[in-house]
This record gives sequence, structure tokens and C-alpha cells, in this order.
Amino acid sequence: MARLLVQLKLKLLTNALRSSRRAKVSFIVSTTLAALVAAGTFVILALLRGGSAPVAQTASVFTVFAFGWLIVPLVSFGLDATLDPATVALYPLRTRPLATGLLAASATGAWPLANVIGLLGVTVGVARGGASIAVAVIAVLLQVLFCIALARLMTTGLAGLLRTRRGSDLAAFAVVPLFALYEAFAQVVPRLAAEGKITAATFANIDRWLRWLPPGLAVHAIRDAASGHLGTGLLRLALVAVIIVAISWLWIRLLSRALVSVDTSTQSTAVRGRALPFARSGIRGTVAGRYLLYQRREPSMIVRWCILAVVMVASSVSTIRAPAYHVGLFISAVLAGGMLSVFNANWIGVIGPAFTLEASALTGLRGIRSYVAGRNVALAAIGVPLAVILSFGIAAFAGHPLDGFLALPIDLAAIGAGLALSSLYAVSLAYPVVKRVGSPIPGAADGHGGQAVAGTFGSLFGVPIVILPVILAVNLTSSVPSAVRLPVLALAAAGYGLAAAWGAGRWAAAIAAARMPELCQVAASSKL
Amino acid sequence: MSELAISVHGLRKSFGTKEAVAGIDLEIAAGSLSGLVGPNGAGKTTSLSMMTGLLRPDAGRVIVHGLDVWADPVAAKAVIGVVPSEARLFDRLSGAELLEYAGRLRGMPADEARTRSAQLLDVLDLAADARRLVADYSTGMRKKAALGCALIHNPPVLFLDEPLEGVDPVSADVIRRLLSRFVTSGSTVLFSSHVMETVEVLCDHVSIIDQGRIVATGTTDQVRGGKTLQEAFIDLVGSKATEEEDLSWLGSSSS
Repeated sequence: MARLLVQLKLKLLTNALRSSRRAKVSFIVSTTLAALVAAGTFVILALLRGGSAPVAQTASVFTVFAFGWLIVPLVSFGLDATLDPATVALYPLRTRPLATGLLAASATGAWPLANVIGLLGVTVGVARGGASIAVAVIAVLLQVLFCIALARLMTTGLAGLLRTRRGSDLAAFAVVPLFALYEAFAQVVPRLAAEGKITAATFANIDRWLRWLPPGLAVHAIRDAASGHLGTGLLRLALVAVIIVAISWLWIRLLSRALVSVDTSTQSTAVRGRALPFARSGIRGTVAGRYLLYQRREPSMIVRWCILAVVMVASSVSTIRAPAYHVGLFISAVLAGGMLSVFNANWIGVIGPAFTLEASALTGLRGIRSYVAGRNVALAAIGVPLAVILSFGIAAFAGHPLDGFLALPIDLAAIGAGLALSSLYAVSLAYPVVKRVGSPIPGAADGHGGQAVAGTFGSLFGVPIVILPVILAVNLTSSVPSAVRLPVLALAAAGYGLAAAWGAGRWAAAIAAARMPELCQVAASSKL
Repeated sequence: MSELAISVHGLRKSFGTKEAVAGIDLEIAAGSLSGLVGPNGAGKTTSLSMMTGLLRPDAGRVIVHGLDVWADPVAAKAVIGVVPSEARLFDRLSGAELLEYAGRLRGMPADEARTRSAQLLDVLDLAADARRLVADYSTGMRKKAALGCALIHNPPVLFLDEPLEGVDPVSADVIRRLLSRFVTSGSTVLFSSHVMETVEVLCDHVSIIDQGRIVATGTTDQVRGGKTLQEAFIDLVGSKATEEEDLSWLGSSSS
């Protein structure tokens, strides 16, 4: 069974190379990125050799990878096409071969391989001699297996909630606290380290806890073998293996239960409003009304706004109490626009087949322009107040509440730039998305990970580039009295953001009008 | 022949090396209820998508209600109503909001869109569920809501892709009655299906498509030629059943 499913997974992956040119490019981008991650991780772990706390630091890296495996499937770019368990669960398979097969299939592909190769840096960084190198190889394989099993358990645990529409709504919100934790870990720790606040002693302290978790157990097993305690090392690895088996067993139990449960949520309550809001304000108002309803009623939209808020706060948190708190304040304002663009860079694919309804109704360039403008109005109606409130909140927490006015121009310009870039990306990089069993948020369909990555990085790097004049204006006018400077900057930035969103919106509408049949096909290919 | 509502000439579409539609010609008279039948993968959905401006053809011409769909897609879309095969709608809108939204996108005044939405929901037997989210609708309710969206601007020509697929008998009857009433007023319906019984009962004109080609077209009586439509269809498309001896192991009497 394992061999068959691995062959199937390999077939699915290699089929991307026989697919469209875009799918080929996506596959190559994804594989190249995986290779870079593999090489980078290997070098970092190898360089820990001779450091002050290689074991503790390696245990931290292993734990970060495990946490990444928990998060990535939930907010993934679709980089790793995992097999949908529902497709094989239909066959009369016993739990053990099914679990083994699905885990083996999950472990097949560029990203799992990149994890293995990268983490094998421990053979240089921690291992000493033949036996400990062998232990290190086993430890790395177990670590990656643990990560895969944990990710499966997590997503399938949420899938239990996905049995009902309301349950799936709730499941989507589980992403927010996980993402907040991840952000705290990924943002705060590296910055504290850069400021010299994290030392070998800090890692030693953290390691006192991490050593009892499976990633820590795996790393300490290598250390044991390297220091001549091979038996203790093997015992630790055996414990990790037992934990993997237990997680896999629990995962299959959850999966079996989720697949045979029925949706009882169809007897739902009615919505409050009778009519569509702003429907009297032309197509722009109608579309804005529909988008606003979706931002409120569609859980994944709320989740995205929450994640945007988390990213804004997390990006400023390390500098907030330092003299250079302005840096964090400005970065968070830029990220407001960047994340807005990330989440909306594929709005046609995310709408899915329902876009056909809009495409068949919108007649002409004027209608499409109004449509894009309506979408921008709705997103700005939420994005601008959210970003401004958070900027003032961050400034207040830094002890300088009035400095929120300094971030205000950047907030306004960044939201405008985010709307502009997402409008353009959505019509030029549109790709279908798929909602997979076990994941509350849809990811890129197989073979389209490259477009997702391009949209994400294009947004994160594009927004600061677009609003560079505003950032420079804020920084270079500090000698001008605030009473003059701040209102002028805010008005100019608002105008700049508005012009960017308006201009890019018209450009995007022209592209969309020319490519409407192709965009319809992309939307129709989404499986939500 | 009376005035043509739909006229298709030399329509072609390939996906890579696979030729999905291999140059079809089709003429549908105004006021007719016409069926496009064929086995799965015959090219029904691809053909309808090209006829409605949702998929760009490699070659060919489509005239709907006197308008060239690909030369003037803007004008053509205004006279077309479409119900896609998978009734994937904006499921976070209520039924009433969805129909109103479809009407407003078509440029209808808000009050008129609201009034027509309420009337259509009533006729489609969805009035009681008008304020429930479409996400909570059953398949039949979704199909009816999609039909409402396609009819709200009163198009002269309506295209439906598998409108009765997965629909319960009661909802199917509501849809059938509404379509009959629609064509009685002089409007035209072209719908795809692979359920011969439905097409035979409902349609006055039938076209059979197989492997991207129209293999028969005419009035329902002409196409079936004294047989049932199912029999005529099998004769034309051919049964691809495997010889029995190849499946000697199949069945409870086998060991």
C-alpha cells in the first residue's frame, strides 16, 4: 500500500511537468525554493559545530520546523500537494497500511526531502563519529515523520469540525491563535537574538523544556550517541517512534470518524438583512455591498483580517519599547498594505466558480472598472480603519500615542498600494485554489504554487517599493513643525494611495476585460 | 425555418492535443426548447461555455439573438442567461441577496431587481428560504437559485448546463414548468443533459454530440426516428460495453 501511494504521489508531482507552461514554472519555482531551504538549513545546522550551545540551538531549530509543519498546511501556499485522504479512505483498507501509506505519500516530494536534507546538517553540527552519524540520520528521518504525522493530526482534527458548515466556520478561526504563536516565535526570537538578548544560556534554558518534546528528544539522542551513550540515544529515538505511532493512530481514528459523519447544519437560521446593502449605488455600490457582506460572513475572510492584525503587531513588538520604536511602527504600517495584497492577490481564484455569475453579467470595460472599484472600496472600508487603529495602538504601547499620526500616512499609502497591486496580480497571475479535506483555508491547486509565491512576495516587496516616496517624505520632513507636516503628509499619502488604487484598478479592469474568458476558466477550476 | 435564436458555425476548441470540440454547426430556432445531449466528455459543457462567451474558441462563430458572441461579447452577454453545470454561487449571500445581486450586476434598478427577485423566489418555491444563506441550500435549491439569477434580466436566450443533475423530483418539476412557461412566451432555451428521458419529454429540438461533433440534430421526432431517444442515442453514439466473456469473473455465481 505504501509503495502504491508513493508511486501515485510521484505521478501527481511529475504530471505537473507535462501540464501547462504555468504549471511547469510553478513546479520549478517550488522545487528551487525547496532546494534553497534544504541547503540553507544544512549550512546553518552544520555551522553550529564548535558553537557554545549546539545541541540546545539545534533542538530549537528542530522545534521550529515542527511548528512550521503545524502552521504551513493551514495557511499553505499549496507548495506540497498532499494526497487527499478522502480519496483512498473509500477502499476497504485496514488502519495500519492506510496510515503507513498516507504518511509515506506525505513524505514524498520536494519539501519533505528538503526537510530531510536540511536537517541532516546535524550530522556535521552535533554528531561525532560513525555511530552518532547513524543515529543522526535516523533522528532526522523520525523528526520529519513526526512533523508529517503532527501536521496530519492537526488538520484532520480540524476536519472533524469541518463536518458541518458552522463547524468549518469555527475551524477556520483555529488558525488565528496558531498563527499568532508562530509570529511571536518567528518575529520576536530572531530580533532578540540579533540584539544580543538571546545567548547560549537562553538556549540552554529553553532546551530544558524542549528536550522532552519529540524534536528535542531526537537531537539529544544524537548528542547521547556522540558522547558515548548510544543506548540512551536509542531509547530516546524509540520514544520518538512510539509518539509517531500514537499520533498516526489518533490521526486515522479522527479521519475515519470525520469521513462518516453527516452535515446537520442545513437547518440554519436566516440572515438579518432583507436586501443587499448599497445596491442603489450602481454596480460599484452593489459589488462593495457584496464584498462587505463576505468580509463579515465568510470565516476565512475574518481570519485573514485577524492574521493581518497579528502580523502588524508582531512585526513591531521587538522594537516597541526601544528608542528606535519608529522602525517597528513604520514596518507594521507597510505590512498592513502588504498583507492586504497577499490575501487579495488571487481574488478571482478565491471567488471560484461563482465568478461565472459575475463574468456573465458584467458587460463591458465600464462595468468591470466599477466592479474593481467596488471591491477596492469594500476592502479599504475595513483595511484603513484597522491599520490606523493598530498603528495608534502600537504607538500608544510604545508610550508615544501621538506618533500614530506619523504612521498614518504610511498606513493610507500602503493600503492604497495593497489594493493596487492585488488588483493587478489578480488579473495577471490568477490561479485556481482547492479546499482540501482537513484544511479550512483553500490553497493553490496542484501546479500553481509558483503563482501563489509570486503573488505573496510580489505583494510583500511591491508595497514598500510603491510607497517609497511616502516613507521618504515621512522620514525626511522631521524638521518641519508637526502641525504643518502631519496634515499635509496624511492628505498627500491618502491622495497617493487613492491614485495608486484608482490607476491600477483601471489598468486591471482593462486586462480583465481582455482576459475574461481565461479568468472565468481559472475561477471555474477552483474547488471550494 | 423561423428566426434563429442560436447559430453556431465551425466551433472548435482543443486543450493541448485533445480536441474537445471538433467543429460543430448548430441552428436553434427562436422559441424552442432544445436539448444538447451526449455522453460524458462529449464536449457539451465546452460547447455551451463557448456559446456563452465564457471560453474562447479556437475557431468558429456563434450568433445569439442576432449578436456575434465573440465579436461583440458585451452586447451578447446582455441577451444571454447562463446556468453553469455546477451551481456554485455566492453562498454567503442569502437567496434574496443573491438574485438581487445578479439583477444589479445586469444594470437593473435596485427596486426592480428586488421585486423580480422576490417574484422569482416565489415561483421557484424558495420564498420561505429567501433569507437563508445559499451555503445551507440543498443541490436542488442551488440549481433553482442559479436559474433565478439567469432569468432575472429576462434574457431572450437561456443556456443551461445539466440543469436537472442531482435535483430531486419536486425541484426538477418546478424547473421544468418554469422552462416550459419561459419558451411559451417566445424565449429560447438550450440545455445540455445526458438524461434522455428528460430531454425526450421536455424538448422540441434535440442535438446529439459525441467526441466533439454533432452527430444528429433536428426535431425530437426526427432524431429518434420512431424509437425512443435512448435507443436512437445508443445507435448513434454506440455502446462501448465489453464482451461478456472478458468479465466472466463478475457476479455472485462466479467463484
